[in-house]
Amino acid sequence: MDKATPKRTLFRRATGSRELRRQPLFTGLSWLVLLLLYAPIAVLIVFSFNDNRSVVVWTEASLRWYETAIGNENVRKAAWISIQVALTATGVSTVIATMAALATTRGGDFRGKSAAIALINQPLMIPEIVTAIATLSFFSILRKLTGISGIGWLMLAHTVFCIPFAFMPIRARLADMSDTFELAAADLYAAPWQAFRHVTLPLLMPGILSGAMLAFVVSLDDVIITLLIAGPGETTLPLYILGQIRRGVTPEVNAVSTILILLTVAMVALTFALQRKRK
Amino acid sequence: MKLTTLTSAVTSAIALSAAAAQAEGTLNIYNWGNYTNPEMIEKFEKQYDIEVNLDGYDSNETMLAKVKEGGSGYDIVVPGDYMVAIMIGEGLLAEINAAEMENFKNLDPNWVDVYWDPGRKYSVPYQWGTTSFTVDSEVYGGDINTLEIVFNPPEELKGRINMLNDMNDVINAGLRYLDYPRCNSNPEQMKELLELLLSAKDNWRTMDYAVIEKLTSKDVDLSQSWNGAAMRARADRPTLTYAYPKEGFTGWMDNVAVLADAPNMENARLFVNFMMDPENAAMTSNFARYANGVLGSEEFMDAEMLDAPEIVMPASAPVPDFVKPCDQQVVEMYNKVWTRLKQ
Repeated sequence: MDKATPKRTLFRRATGSRELRRQPLFTGLSWLVLLLLYAPIAVLIVFSFNDNRSVVVWTEASLRWYETAIGNENVRKAAWISIQVALTATGVSTVIATMAALATTRGGDFRGKSAAIALINQPLMIPEIVTAIATLSFFSILRKLTGISGIGWLMLAHTVFCIPFAFMPIRARLADMSDTFELAAADLYAAPWQAFRHVTLPLLMPGILSGAMLAFVVSLDDVIITLLIAGPGETTLPLYILGQIRRGVTPEVNAVSTILILLTVAMVALTFALQRKRK
Repeated sequence: MKLTTLTSAVTSAIALSAAAAQAEGTLNIYNWGNYTNPEMIEKFEKQYDIEVNLDGYDSNETMLAKVKEGGSGYDIVVPGDYMVAIMIGEGLLAEINAAEMENFKNLDPNWVDVYWDPGRKYSVPYQWGTTSFTVDSEVYGGDINTLEIVFNPPEELKGRINMLNDMNDVINAGLRYLDYPRCNSNPEQMKELLELLLSAKDNWRTMDYAVIEKLTSKDVDLSQSWNGAAMRARADRPTLTYAYPKEGFTGWMDNVAVLADAPNMENARLFVNFMMDPENAAMTSNFARYANGVLGSEEFMDAEMLDAPEIVMPASAPVPDFVKPCDQQVVEMYNKVWTRLKQ
């Protein structure tokens, strides 16, 4: 009998079972939460197949709005911009996040280490609108000073807010990994780079992939920062959708949104699949 | 080491895209989303050999926030009437003297000396319309040209009304119903207005921008609405009738203007002149479904636009009321009324 027993018996006495999952309230609540979370999205997806112009009155099923969306040059352009920005931001932020994670877990103790971690994670704590406004004024000063314009600024902004999202899973993976293998490699005369390349990096890969996927999805879905930073000709897919709302939503927006959701879900599923395989 | 290569990669990426953006003959337009006819843009590109970048915004305020800091890179913006006044006040718009442009002669003289830009030094009309309400005439057969049916609805319309989720549109409608002046900071009158709105709200079903969806799904039978939205809703629900209430209704106009720091100033001026050509103005109207303020554009407009009661005002209708931006004291009072109403 361990220490947890009194609590457990109390739970069993109160509920008549020791299985949390078997509780009627638990099941009901889970379904309610799932319903509230996903019913609106389900409705959106259903109406993307509506033949009518309306997003509330169903007539008959058709792929008409997908044809319109895919045939719409603006949608294609926005999708291409989104992907360019997301790929660049993912690549750069994952590399930076990996280096930061290595420094904070394998770099020994250094002064201001916890401050460094807090600083890296700061973008998660600051309200996005504050970051957006701050970046807007900062970049507009830089743009005027340097005379440089273009999509690079948007990529830079995305890279910055993607770093903490990439950092978290990579650091978590590193913290869980014992350094025994790396020490063994060093004992066998592996140079630090070799030890990193052949031992640490392969073990860390699932963490890096999760971090990269997370960064990609966060960049792909971002609205507020993008809205304020994007320059001429840099409309991303979420911005395109936002711009349609005031003048009346057509199922074309539903179709574009559905494509965006599918892309996001595919990325998340891929992450899980990769992680499972690595285990 | 790695970091420096990385930084240089980022810098060169920025520099590279900068080179692309500074190519000869571009024009960067920032307009409301889904509000610009792509064929009209194509025509402009061909006519002047200029490449157009078009982006959309969702509100005047988003646009203002973005261009206010300067260096946004945009040349053309399309602010609403009151926003033109604000932007001129803040020195954000370039003085283009539209009156000296070749196509200015096509402009309807009614739209030249407007309060937001007297003499049209900074802007020209893009689209204009009215904000009133539309009713299903089969549900309610009485006289619809009065705000009475919004604020003191007959039995058939009780609980069947949608209002725009817009502070100014709702408050201005209330002030017109009470016959009090706009931009009102008289505490007694505003108190009376709040009481009116609170009692009317019991008969309102929703306060929502999604006018077309609300009406076509038959969720409501009366909705406060822009005239263009009312026309599009009528396509799905033919019994809808747009009201021109005798107490008055709001008029609004979106205007083509050039930013003071426009990188492509000459191309922007070409575009402003281009927009005053009747055929091009008609292309915009046929797409966005509002009137344009350019004489002779009727000739090129879709037939159903020309006899749409939402677009062509009957002679008996009062003159639309273009409401000026109110001063800070009034805005604060409006905010209080609005917050109480939305509680």
